[in-house]
Amino acid sequence: MPVIEVSHLTKEYRLGALQGLKQTLINTGARLMGKHLPERPLFKALDDVSFSIEQGEVVGIIGHNGAGKSTLLKMLAKISTPTRGSVMTKGRISPLIEVGAGFVPDFTGRENVYLNGAILGMKRQEIDQKFDEIVDFAEMAEFIDTPVKRYSSGMQVKLAFAVATSVQSEILIVDEVLAVGDLAFQRKCFDRMEDVIKGQGRTILLVSHNIRQVERMCNRVILMDHGKVAADGPVAEVCELFYQQSNTKIQAQAQHAATAKVSGSGEVTIDSIDVLDNAGHPVNEIESGERLRVRIRFTLLHDLEGIEIVAGTHRTDFIYISSASTRDVLPNAAFSRGSHEVEYIVPTFPLAAGTYSVRLVFLDRNWRFLFNGESLKTFTVKAKRLETMNSQWKTVDLPSEMRVDGTLYALPQ
Amino acid sequence: MLTLAKNLYDYHELMATLAWKNVTLRYKQAYLGIAWAILKPITLMLIFTLVKSFVGIESGEIPYPILVFAALMPWTFFQESTSDGVTSVVGNTALIKKIYFPREIFPITSVLTKLVELGINFFILAGLMVWYQMMPSIYILWVPLIIAYTILAALTIAFAGAAINVYYRDVGAALPVLLSLLMYASPVIYPLQLVKDKLLVQQAAGEWSDMLYTLYTLNPLAGIIDAFQNVVLRGAPPDLDAMIPGAILVAILLPLSYLYFKRAESYFADVI
Repeated sequence: MPVIEVSHLTKEYRLGALQGLKQTLINTGARLMGKHLPERPLFKALDDVSFSIEQGEVVGIIGHNGAGKSTLLKMLAKISTPTRGSVMTKGRISPLIEVGAGFVPDFTGRENVYLNGAILGMKRQEIDQKFDEIVDFAEMAEFIDTPVKRYSSGMQVKLAFAVATSVQSEILIVDEVLAVGDLAFQRKCFDRMEDVIKGQGRTILLVSHNIRQVERMCNRVILMDHGKVAADGPVAEVCELFYQQSNTKIQAQAQHAATAKVSGSGEVTIDSIDVLDNAGHPVNEIESGERLRVRIRFTLLHDLEGIEIVAGTHRTDFIYISSASTRDVLPNAAFSRGSHEVEYIVPTFPLAAGTYSVRLVFLDRNWRFLFNGESLKTFTVKAKRLETMNSQWKTVDLPSEMRVDGTLYALPQ
Repeated sequence: MLTLAKNLYDYHELMATLAWKNVTLRYKQAYLGIAWAILKPITLMLIFTLVKSFVGIESGEIPYPILVFAALMPWTFFQESTSDGVTSVVGNTALIKKIYFPREIFPITSVLTKLVELGINFFILAGLMVWYQMMPSIYILWVPLIIAYTILAALTIAFAGAAINVYYRDVGAALPVLLSLLMYASPVIYPLQLVKDKLLVQQAAGEWSDMLYTLYTLNPLAGIIDAFQNVVLRGAPPDLDAMIPGAILVAILLPLSYLYFKRAESYFADVI
């Protein structure tokens, strides 16, 4: 028997603001006269979403910003009503949406525990029983009779988290709350969540941008995209799909931002920058550990002597990875007016899967910038094989070996 | 209505806690604390007494200060619980957007909060009665019923007002103005007997007099204030004739107001 059953759930929002009195009167008048008014456009926050969740499942909901995750949670928690479709839930739902909603700054910690507990649906007697445990978990015994407005934000969140997780409910909805407090407390929260998940057999919905957390805690993941369920299934598969999507998105953004990062004297014009495969065809993607070949075509306004050309790569967060200069090989390179071509080649580019960009600098003999550009060309590096761990756990993909009990194993490269 | 009763029972602890929060919050970090609750009716009582000494209002055998205080008690309760009730939903935006519980809890809690302050005012009333050496009669047992009726009257405005206020904040701004007008249309400064004499006995408005009187008593507060004064001060039963038109109005409007609130409720989180 499913405890949560969502069928054909659609939620539409009307874009734009509520209209003022004047506009409303004019519109009503026009409508009475039988005129057809243009409706304000609708936005589909959720579009025909269907799934069901069984008792005891721990389901992660992931997706980009604006994919409809929070709207979905609001529907499940009955905070908002669907435009079409239905949501059926069994048992008490306790939302852990943004801990601390309903904290009153003027109240002491103690008063807030009781207030927040009541808001989350606990009986007074229940709070009495759990009070010590809550305070203990939040490490707040010393400050419990101080008004919350004097707390640091970390202290507030700790207390709120402690209250919220002590609610006994069949279904727990968690929205981006585990990123709270310092590292030690995060660790504690994490353990508490795991305890709730593994120990108590409750059904849990976890919304997070922290995919590692989702991978570790959930046994099923739903990927949302533009209000639709893009994927629903085992953790590894869906998360992998999400990573791919993220990479595409970052690449699109990086390419979009590419033109912005250029400055120079105007004496050098870049005609084209291409990443080439071994056959010399332009590509957008290379494999990790492959040869990287970047061809730069440029035009000079007039004859220039002693030019230094620097080509390199950087990550999307502008950490410079590699760089090479013509000064090392051609200290006094002279270029005539007109078109030229330079290639920057890295025999093996052992970087972890991800998106990278080309940077380029032209200097004259006095180190005056003729041209300086970043994010000139973005390309992706894809993993050679299905990786057992996420690319975010490493930056470079170095050939490695592992010696286990004296036996040497070379890792596939 | 059945769901309302069930919700009231299911969520009575939450409502009590929220009301406790409102009361405590209002007087936190205030030196005079809960004393502020009685300051308003007492100040008004003094002002009205002063005004009365210039204008001359016939107040019968009851001393004017205590008469006006007894009128101000239900009036202040009604006025404040209504205006707090209307702004209660918008005022709790943070909760509305995060957590679900039946939204009627907010207006109802506002009324409950004001009930506490009304309770405090009873001590002042008792003090005044001792001062003027007045003995309460058996009719004082009517008081809970009269207050219950006042609560219903306040909720009639609060439900619909709170829902509309989510869409159009005008309501929250306009209500205080309308309510202070309503005070003059209620027997607060003057006793109801004065209106009765003018319209029913003297027929001051000619053939319209009876109708005008019915119109006047359509305001539930007319009956409520008079009844409160009757049972507490005059030792007489409530004047039911003056209460019936208002009661009918409340009986018709309250369910409509509540239904409207429940219909609008599901969109609060989207619109607020």
